[in-house]
Amino acid sequence: MWHKNEGKPSPEVPQPPAGGTTKSQVTPEAPAASTVAPAPVSVAPTPAPMAITPEPAAAAPPAVGGASRIQAGLKIHGEISGNSDLYIDGELQGKIRLGGARVVIGPNGKVQADIEAGGVTIDGSVQGNIKASESVRLGAGSHVQGSVLTPRIGIDDGARLRGKVEMIKAGSTASASTTATPAAQVAESAPRAIAASAKGE
Amino acid sequence: MNWMAKARPSNPATPAKAPASAAAAATSRATEKPGPAASMAAAGNVRISNALKEFLWLLSDVPRARILDLGPVWQSTVTFFIEKGYRVSSEDMLREWKDFLTTEEERLRTTPVGEEPERRSLPALAEKFIDNALNYPEESVHGVLIWDLLDYFDPAVVPALMNRLYNMLHPGGTVLALFHSRSAERFHRYRIMDGQTVELLPAPTLAVHTHVFQNREILDLFGKFRSSKTFVGRDQVREALFIK
Repeated sequence: MWHKNEGKPSPEVPQPPAGGTTKSQVTPEAPAASTVAPAPVSVAPTPAPMAITPEPAAAAPPAVGGASRIQAGLKIHGEISGNSDLYIDGELQGKIRLGGARVVIGPNGKVQADIEAGGVTIDGSVQGNIKASESVRLGAGSHVQGSVLTPRIGIDDGARLRGKVEMIKAGSTASASTTATPAAQVAESAPRAIAASAKGE
Repeated sequence: MNWMAKARPSNPATPAKAPASAAAAATSRATEKPGPAASMAAAGNVRISNALKEFLWLLSDVPRARILDLGPVWQSTVTFFIEKGYRVSSEDMLREWKDFLTTEEERLRTTPVGEEPERRSLPALAEKFIDNALNYPEESVHGVLIWDLLDYFDPAVVPALMNRLYNMLHPGGTVLALFHSRSAERFHRYRIMDGQTVELLPAPTLAVHTHVFQNREILDLFGKFRSSKTFVGRDQVREALFIK
């Protein structure tokens, strides 16, 4: 009776279009003149020039070539929106809304934000709810605290997840819940089969 | 829902009578290459779980049941439940408890000289931990997979954990737990391979095996639950199901 939906969908990697806008406040980590202690994320006293700049293709990580990058050593407090792919290896606190684009959290990345994007790949740390209209992949070194809503999920051995996983329809654009705890969020979207793309699966 | 009125699932060790065509198909399958679960069973790192089979049967009437896995998150386990249309939550309780204690120790250690840090007893710490780690609404969960964590948790944590689990469980909800009949030789994590197969994955030891629960202790632990069922495996691991 429990052998329903035996078919295995194939893993999918979204390829969203590049280009877009971001808005944020950025400070380099080292010489923070007036940081908000003891919060883990420093905030610039005045609006700083945009620091999320598209990198040359050669310097970009292979998984997100041409994406905007937040390098290790940068801390951002604010909202990032647009439709450009984004690679985060620094620290970010706020909100990320990138439509159908792809977000990659690098191994040094620490994100305290709700994330809404097309595809989300996590190798660092995320505290917040994740909603991806295409897929989510939790790498072996990832640590996620929050809910994950996506049509497809890949979980590598060693990934850490505190929260719930729920399936939504592919391409769904409804906003992710902003509640902090997994318990407080109950999405009632239709379940979907997911892709099994983890290592060793 | 009347849990007890349902037809019992057949025992995997003693399959029910199959029609002739099914028997022929089974004969045909016997000559085929064994699947991954069968291969791993041969390698000895899986166990056939009657309790898991019954756990799933108990949940089979619940549309979009919410499952809470208190072990680490695994692709195969998540996929298994999602494909059934269930909702899955994951809380790696043992690791979280270890991290919680580390944070507390750090807090005490880094308190400036002259300031007396607030010291909490272990039961008080356990309460705080459970409040934070299992912050789910009452009666919101239909099935909980505890695996063998109760053998490893500090005894101070277990009562608070059991109380919270009971409150979180929907009436008729069920808990699957494993208990070692003797000290476990090594630490394992568990993941579901299919409806009656669990894979044991050797893992770095997160905690020492603190206690071997006797039958009476187990029943006392789940005293609030209205029904229980125990399966004892050849590996001296007891599988237990409890229904609220």
